Amino acid sequence: MAVGPATLARPAPLAGRRLTLRTVLEREGVFGWLMLGPGVLFLLAFVAYPFFYGIFLSLEERRVASPGTFVGFANFVTLAHDSIFWQIVRNTLVYVAVTTVLKLAGGLGMALVMNQAFRGRNLVRASLLLPFIVPTALSTVAWMWILDPTFSVVNWLLVHGGIITSGYSFLGNSTLAMGSLIVVNTWRGMPFYGITLLAGLQTISSDLYEAAAIDGATGVQRFLYVTLPVIKPVLIIVTMFSVIFTFGDFQLIYALTHGGPANATHVFSTWSFDIGMSAGQLGMGAAVALAILPVLAVLIVGLTFYLRRE
Amino acid sequence: MKTRREFLTLTAGAVAGATLGPRRASAAPKAMTVVRESSFIKPFDDYFANTLAPEYEKLTGIKVNYDAVSVGGMLTRLTTIAETKSGPEIVGTGVNWPWLFDQSLVDLSDVAAEIGKKIGPWHDNVFPAVVVNKKWKALPWGNIGQLEVYRTDWFKEVGVTKFPDNWEDLLAAGRLLKKKGHPFGFELGHGFGDNHGWLYPLLWSYGGREVDRDGKTVLIDSDETAKAVDFCRRFYRETMLEDVLAWTDVNNNKAFLGEQISCTNNASSILVVAKRDFPEIAKVTDHALNPQGPKGRFHIMQAASHALMTHAPDQAAAKAFLRWLYDDKQLFRWLAAGEAYYAPFLAAYENHPMWNPEPRYLPYKESLKTTHLHGWPGPPSHAMSESVAKYVLVDMFAKACRGDSTKDVIATAAAQLKQIYKAQ
Repeated sequence: MAVGPATLARPAPLAGRRLTLRTVLEREGVFGWLMLGPGVLFLLAFVAYPFFYGIFLSLEERRVASPGTFVGFANFVTLAHDSIFWQIVRNTLVYVAVTTVLKLAGGLGMALVMNQAFRGRNLVRASLLLPFIVPTALSTVAWMWILDPTFSVVNWLLVHGGIITSGYSFLGNSTLAMGSLIVVNTWRGMPFYGITLLAGLQTISSDLYEAAAIDGATGVQRFLYVTLPVIKPVLIIVTMFSVIFTFGDFQLIYALTHGGPANATHVFSTWSFDIGMSAGQLGMGAAVALAILPVLAVLIVGLTFYLRRE
Repeated sequence: MKTRREFLTLTAGAVAGATLGPRRASAAPKAMTVVRESSFIKPFDDYFANTLAPEYEKLTGIKVNYDAVSVGGMLTRLTTIAETKSGPEIVGTGVNWPWLFDQSLVDLSDVAAEIGKKIGPWHDNVFPAVVVNKKWKALPWGNIGQLEVYRTDWFKEVGVTKFPDNWEDLLAAGRLLKKKGHPFGFELGHGFGDNHGWLYPLLWSYGGREVDRDGKTVLIDSDETAKAVDFCRRFYRETMLEDVLAWTDVNNNKAFLGEQISCTNNASSILVVAKRDFPEIAKVTDHALNPQGPKGRFHIMQAASHALMTHAPDQAAAKAFLRWLYDDKQLFRWLAAGEAYYAPFLAAYENHPMWNPEPRYLPYKESLKTTHLHGWPGPPSHAMSESVAKYVLVDMFAKACRGDSTKDVIATAAAQLKQIYKAQ
C-alpha cells in the first residue's frame, strides 16, 4: 500500500483553534529554539562574550583596574618588534608541530593495537586511557617529580642502572626542557587520538580486509589502501582539534617550567598570562593571546571546508 | 481604610519600613573578609584565623573571614577582585601592587599615621612600596627578606667558619664546596621571588641599574652590568647545579632540605621547616646578609601588606579592624606566631622580644636597611611590573649562565627594557 505524503504530514492547525502553552510548544520553530536556547546562551556568555571582549581589550592600552584607551593595532605592532614574541612564536610552533606528529603516530598505533582481539584487551584499553582521564593538574604534579631537577626518578634509574654517570637536567637545559614538555603533552594527548581513531577503525567492515587479502594485499597494503582511506576523515578532524587544543595548552607548561629556562618553553598562553595577570597589562596580554588567531582561523576554516566537502 | 489605594500605600510603607528600618539601625557589617596569600609559616595563618579573628568577633560582633590564596596566586586573585569590584574587602599586597591597583584602593594615610605615632616611625625605605602619590595605599606588617641560607657544617669542612662577606669570597667558598659534592643552588628560573631575590641585589652591588630614577632612561647597558653578568656566569658554572636554570621557588627549599645544596638565597622558611621536620639539618643551618659587591650590599624588598578595596561596603569598619590588628597588643602576638618570618617596618620592633627566641633570624631584621623594590632606583610603576613579569633581568643572567655572550644578553635586556619603559 502506498503511503501518500499527506498521511505523514502534521495536521494543519485548525482555524480558530485555542492557543495554549502546549500548542505553542508543539510548534517546531518554538520547540527547536527552546532546546537550542540554553546551549546558545551558554556559548554567548562563556565563549562569544570573552572572545569579543578579548578582541576589544587587545585594541586598548588597558592596565588592570584602570580605564582603557583605544590604541588600534598598536599592541600588535609592539609585539612584532619584540624579539621575545618571535621566540614565543617559534616555541609554540615547535611544541604544536612535534607533539601533533608524535600524538598522531602514537595514537594511530594505539588504536590499531586496541582494535586487535587479544586477552585482557579491555584492561589495556582502560589503562591506555588513564592519561586522558586523570586531571591534568594531578598528572602534572607526578611529572614534576619525574622530571624534578634534583630528585628525578628517571635520573635515578639511569645513574643506578650504570647508563649515565650524572643525571640530566631535564628542565634546566633549554632543549631538554622543551623535549620534556613535548613528551608529557604527547603522553597526555595520545589517548584522545587513540580512542577517536579506534572508533573510526571499528566502522571498517571486515569484508574489505578479506577482499584485500584474497587479492593478495600485504599487511602494509591493507593499511594503506583500506584502513587509511576509511579513517582519513576522522584522522583529519582529530588532528585539527588536537592542534587547536595544543596551541592553547597552559597548565602543563605553567606548572612544569613557567616558560623557563630563559623563555625556552614560553608559549602564547603562558606569556599572555604573565603579561596580562602578572604585569597587569590586560590589553597587551589579550593581544598576545589573539596573535595566534590567524593561524587558528586558517585551521578552523580548513576544517569547515573539508567537512562540507566530505 | 477608605480605599484600595490607601490600603496599598499603607502596606507598601509597612513593608519598606520593615525592610529598611533594621538595616539602618544596625549599620555595622556582620562580617568582613580578608584575603591573603597563604603564609609559608602555617602558625601565622592559623593564629590569624583561629585566635585574632575570633577575638575581634567577640569584641565587636563582626566576623572576620580569612581566605587564603595559594602561594604565587594572590596577584591573579587581586586582579579579579579589582576588575569585578566585588569580593573581599581587605586584601594582601606585595611588591609594588599598591601602584598597580591604586585606583581600587582606599587611602589609608590616617591609619598609617596613627600606627606610626604609636609604634613607629615607619622605616623610610618602605614608602616606595606602599605610598602612592603621597597616599598610603597599603599597610605593611613585615618584609619577607631574601637572604643567604647556608650549611654551617659543610662550610666549616672547607675551612670557611664565617659566611663570606663579598661575592668573590662566596664564589671561592662555593668552588671548594662543589668539589666536595655540596654545590650551591640559587634560583635562575621563572619563579616569583627567589630569583629576583638575589639577582637584583647582585646587579645593584656591582653598580648596575635597570632604569634611572626618572623611569625612562634605561641604564642596563653598562660596564657595571657586564661585570655582574660575568660574575654570575662564573658563580653558576663553578658553584652550582645546572638545574637551577629551571628552578622555581619550591626547588631550592626542596634541594636544601634534601641535602643537595649547601647554600641558597631564600626567606627564613627553610629554617622554619627544618626546625619542624628536619631537626638535624636545622642545627647546621644559618642565615647571612647578601654578600657585598664593589658598590655595596643590597637586598630585595617584599613588603607584605594589607590594603582596603574601594568597593568595601563599610570602609570605616574595615579601617577599624586594621587599626585593631596593627595595635601592638595584636601585632606583636601575630608576628611572634610567624616566628619572625616577617620583619616589621616599625621602629618599635627594632629591639622587640619577638626576635629573642631565635637569633638566627636577626639578619632578616638587619637587611631592612638595605632593601629596595625590584626596579630600584626607578619608580615602582606599571613598567616595573612588566619588567618583572617578563623576567627581563632573570633571563639576562640565565642566558649568560647558559652560555650566551655578555654583550648579547645585555643587548636583549636593554631592547626589552627600552620597549617596556618606552625610552627614547
